[in-house]
Amino acid sequence: MKPGTKLKSAVCDTEVMVIRGTDAVVECGGAPMVEEKATDGGAVDAAFADGTQMGKRYVDADGTVELLCVKPGQGSLSLGGVALTIKEAKSLPSSD
Amino acid sequence: MTQIMKGIRVLEVAQMTFVPAAGAILADWGADVIKIEHPQRGDSQRGFVNMGGIKVNPKRSPFVEHPNRGKRSVGVDITKPEGMEVIYELAKTADVFLTNYLPNRRQKLKFDVEHIRAVNPNIIYARGSAYGDKGPERDTGGFDGTAFWNRSGIATAMSPEELSGPISQGIPAFGDSIGGMNIAGGISAALFHRERTGEALEVDVSLLSTAWWAAGTSIDMGIDCGQVSRNRMPTSGGNPGNPFMGNYTTSDGGTINMCTLTPGPHIRNVFEHLGIPEAADDPRFATAESLMQNWEPASDLIREQFASQSFDYWREHLKTMSGQWAPVLDLLQIAEDEQALANDMLFEVEAGDGGEPIKLVRGPIQFNHEPVRTTRAPEASEHTEIVLMEMGMEWDKIESLKEKGAIA
Repeated sequence: MKPGTKLKSAVCDTEVMVIRGTDAVVECGGAPMVEEKATDGGAVDAAFADGTQMGKRYVDADGTVELLCVKPGQGSLSLGGVALTIKEAKSLPSSD
Repeated sequence: MTQIMKGIRVLEVAQMTFVPAAGAILADWGADVIKIEHPQRGDSQRGFVNMGGIKVNPKRSPFVEHPNRGKRSVGVDITKPEGMEVIYELAKTADVFLTNYLPNRRQKLKFDVEHIRAVNPNIIYARGSAYGDKGPERDTGGFDGTAFWNRSGIATAMSPEELSGPISQGIPAFGDSIGGMNIAGGISAALFHRERTGEALEVDVSLLSTAWWAAGTSIDMGIDCGQVSRNRMPTSGGNPGNPFMGNYTTSDGGTINMCTLTPGPHIRNVFEHLGIPEAADDPRFATAESLMQNWEPASDLIREQFASQSFDYWREHLKTMSGQWAPVLDLLQIAEDEQALANDMLFEVEAGDGGEPIKLVRGPIQFNHEPVRTTRAPEASEHTEIVLMEMGMEWDKIESLKEKGAIA
């Protein structure tokens, strides 16, 4: 895993661009993500099946990894079995 | 929609609705619009929690989708010199620079027209402002509520004298959306000019100029006559001088707007449709002149007729009437209006929260009868790495800019 490169899910359509993180093993759908997808990588683990959303950035609590979803899929992303969460803009509240 | 702006790149350093809406129109037309957003906060527009007192779901915010669909978002801190270098690099690849930052900010942060033209002499530089880029108030900011609605005289003209004060704009981003279309029109004309002559222009549209233009007939007349018309209090009945003009209340409290400006040719047809054909033979109403003279008794008759049937009855029944009229609808009713839908007024984009697609209103212009096809508004900084890599920036450079907080 290297920033600026792409990773693919082994078990669904998800593709991400690695934004941050080196030598970590991230999973999608419960299975380690790969650079080249095998024809049959198995099925999405039901515990990691919330899906990925196009354009969202996924991070871990410590900020060691950041993945940008460039193709959505059915699996959800995790690091060491812990689900990654969506990074949000911290906008200042406004009201008309 | 025909991609008339395909191959045109717009670099947008702007926030809120007015100026970004111009970028959205150009994106609908096929332009590659790169929206610069603050690395942490994104466009201030993303922070709207209420709209006209209605709670906004930030994942499905019309404040974000309406003015930003179809764009790519790049997170740059323009207050950092390293961030401004990124802006210059992007400006070299752009045809149009679009901004609503105030002149003193453009000067301080060095992205005013001379700075951007120094890196790209052929770029069209488009500014949206509150009150115009010349004069003593060029550095005063504003929103459509201030510049377009209140300062402009529109609020006063819209509000009957009998009210205790002026009514408010009522529709969020109303002046912004009209003004954004004006900017998009100006940019299109500037691109046409550049294509023909090679000359790159500066384009200015203000919220005030948008209002002045929209109210131009009244302002011109006011200057000439020393007085301007104002709204009257709502009533059921004809306007002074023309009973075929005015709002009429139906039996169930709905409203039919009669708008037959030239009543003469429609007298018999209108009275027939209203169920009082004999009125057309009444000498008081038989000719345009007599009808306009006797507008009050005619208005009384028409008011009674409208009050005798329901809104739905009149809406159907008046379809064959030759005079001009309209049912008074609300903004939710037009979302299901057959005529609006037949003209592709709504299109759908994927929702950022993964839920049901979001329906959005298209811009006012259609080419070749084709509906808009575009993508949802970007997440803040969604495309930073993709756009910068596409531009040829190495990953090491991207990482070092991130470490400095210049991009995100």
